[in-house]
Amino acid sequence: MILHTASEGITFAKKLENDSAEFYESLAGQNAKDAETFLSFAKENKKNIVQVERAYYGVITDAIEGCFAFNIDPDKYALKTAVKDGAAYADMLSQAVEIEKTIIKFYTDAAEQSKSLMADVPRAFTIIARKRGSRLEKLGAL
Amino acid sequence: MALLEEPIKEVRTLKNYINGEWVESKGEVVDVVNPARYETIARVPISTGEEMGAAVEAAKEAFQDWRRTPPVARARYLFRLKELLEENFEEVSRIQTQEHGKTIDESRGETRRGIENVEVACGIPTLMQGYYSEDIAHGIDEWVIPTPLGVFGIIGPFNFPFMIPLWSAPYAVATGNCVIVKPSPEVPNSQMRLAELVEEAGFPPGVWNVVNGEKAVVGHMLEHPDVKGIAFVGRTSTARDVICRKCGETGKRYIAQASAKNFMTIMPDCDVDRTVAAMMTSFFGNTGQRCLSAANAVIVGEDDAFYKSFVDKVIAQISSIRIGYGLDESVQMGPVRDIEKKARIIGYIESGIQQGAKLLLDGRGDFQIAGDYPDTCFLGPTVFENVTPDMKIGSEEIFGPVMSIMRVKDLDEAIEIANANAFGNGNSIFTTSGKSAREYQYNVTSGNVGINIGIVAPMAFFPFSGMKDSFYGVLHTQGREAVRFFTESKVVIQRWF
Repeated sequence: MILHTASEGITFAKKLENDSAEFYESLAGQNAKDAETFLSFAKENKKNIVQVERAYYGVITDAIEGCFAFNIDPDKYALKTAVKDGAAYADMLSQAVEIEKTIIKFYTDAAEQSKSLMADVPRAFTIIARKRGSRLEKLGAL
Repeated sequence: MALLEEPIKEVRTLKNYINGEWVESKGEVVDVVNPARYETIARVPISTGEEMGAAVEAAKEAFQDWRRTPPVARARYLFRLKELLEENFEEVSRIQTQEHGKTIDESRGETRRGIENVEVACGIPTLMQGYYSEDIAHGIDEWVIPTPLGVFGIIGPFNFPFMIPLWSAPYAVATGNCVIVKPSPEVPNSQMRLAELVEEAGFPPGVWNVVNGEKAVVGHMLEHPDVKGIAFVGRTSTARDVICRKCGETGKRYIAQASAKNFMTIMPDCDVDRTVAAMMTSFFGNTGQRCLSAANAVIVGEDDAFYKSFVDKVIAQISSIRIGYGLDESVQMGPVRDIEKKARIIGYIESGIQQGAKLLLDGRGDFQIAGDYPDTCFLGPTVFENVTPDMKIGSEEIFGPVMSIMRVKDLDEAIEIANANAFGNGNSIFTTSGKSAREYQYNVTSGNVGINIGIVAPMAFFPFSGMKDSFYGVLHTQGREAVRFFTESKVVIQRWF
């Protein structure tokens, strides 16, 4: 089902952040060498949720288009977060890269859809997408 | 989509909050109904005049100490209240959805707007400062001191049960007055929760009182000589014929915000996609039950191709509006508040048909409800075209999800028909032309004017304005004007021999 309301969009963003945080926590448990990096990603995800919620709860009023803010197909941003038993480390990193690309696309698309309709929310989304871009570089360096 | 948890879980009989105590009323009790489920969620007393009298006495008594409490100390109570409102933001918002039917995004928006007024009132130490002139004549100085007046009555409507009393109450108490809030008996729960938070914030007894009820308690409030002023939001007939008249007779000051019929002017050079999105919120947000909702879509120009393509887009978008219980996050439009309001809206739809408007979408039947809810209070969006300003649907306040499309040849005609209407609350223009925008805002007789904004809701630090039959009074709610409304200017002239 397509997500249209701001409340749905924010809930979905939180789900992506929480699911990917769990993925990184799982990665950290399986790869002691880079565990610190993965745990820092998971921690950053929690901060992203705070940032998204702060933007939303700070600006949501009847003067903006809260119920008509988005046109998000959640299936397009489905994350594969289950780590296969015995997966090679390189495969796990590739999986992480895919997750990041998917989440960046979500934030970028959602920011574009809600631009000038949702005040600070698209700005917060754009900032998080940018932060996640730098995460891709970090993953590439592992 | 799963429902968000409902905060009201059991049916309880509400009390009044008088002099810092929760007091049972002796009045009869009526049901408060969740319009989506059509189930009773509370019972509210219709309090007696005597109970209103007790609240006025308590407020009058509390005023003596409260007005002597330094503004900076009064502000600290409001800071604490603001913290509590943030902590309970979600619960307060869901109560609004549960009792009113609006979507959760709309309720959160209402909560935010309410809190913003508390925030602005926290600035009372500076907002309330007077001014001083040295040497108005040789050796003589003069200054003005804004002083509180005493007890104020605040009468809330059904459509924004939480926010609207907060357009006034924080400023009233910040300036040293005491208040009696009278919520709408249809939606009293969010004001009761607010009063609990007021109590938790530690406001002294009698400073902030809540008395439930309807006409009898309002009448008592209006007649009472110790009530110095009234802030009212509701229908024009009540604002003009009851509030204005009675306050005039009894020497009270008043703010009376009233009905509306808002015109949204759409220029052919508008950003179509953004305009259509804004129209959805403006016409159908809060199920059209707000005094800033657009009611007439006035499409400018004689370009038939633009008109057709624009209307087609509007209809396509409206047709996809998801209707249901607002605690389902996917819902974009909730029910109307009650059966009587639904019947009234249907009456307008029938009059539109009878008077020759063309029905493009019929909200009486062309809709589906997401979820298993009775259709008792639900209506779909209705769209008419070929509406003229003399039709009832083109001139009177419907207060429901009905869009009346009009065509005019140019901007002058659009302004002319908006100005000819009895109301002047929240008119707007959608255009990419600065010239058209300026011409519109300069000439339109509307208290709040939107330029590419569909809901022209002023922020808490601006007055909530209104013109013609949409507003009676001089000063407005919110911000600096509210501070002026709740204070009298005491002028002192001094010389020393």
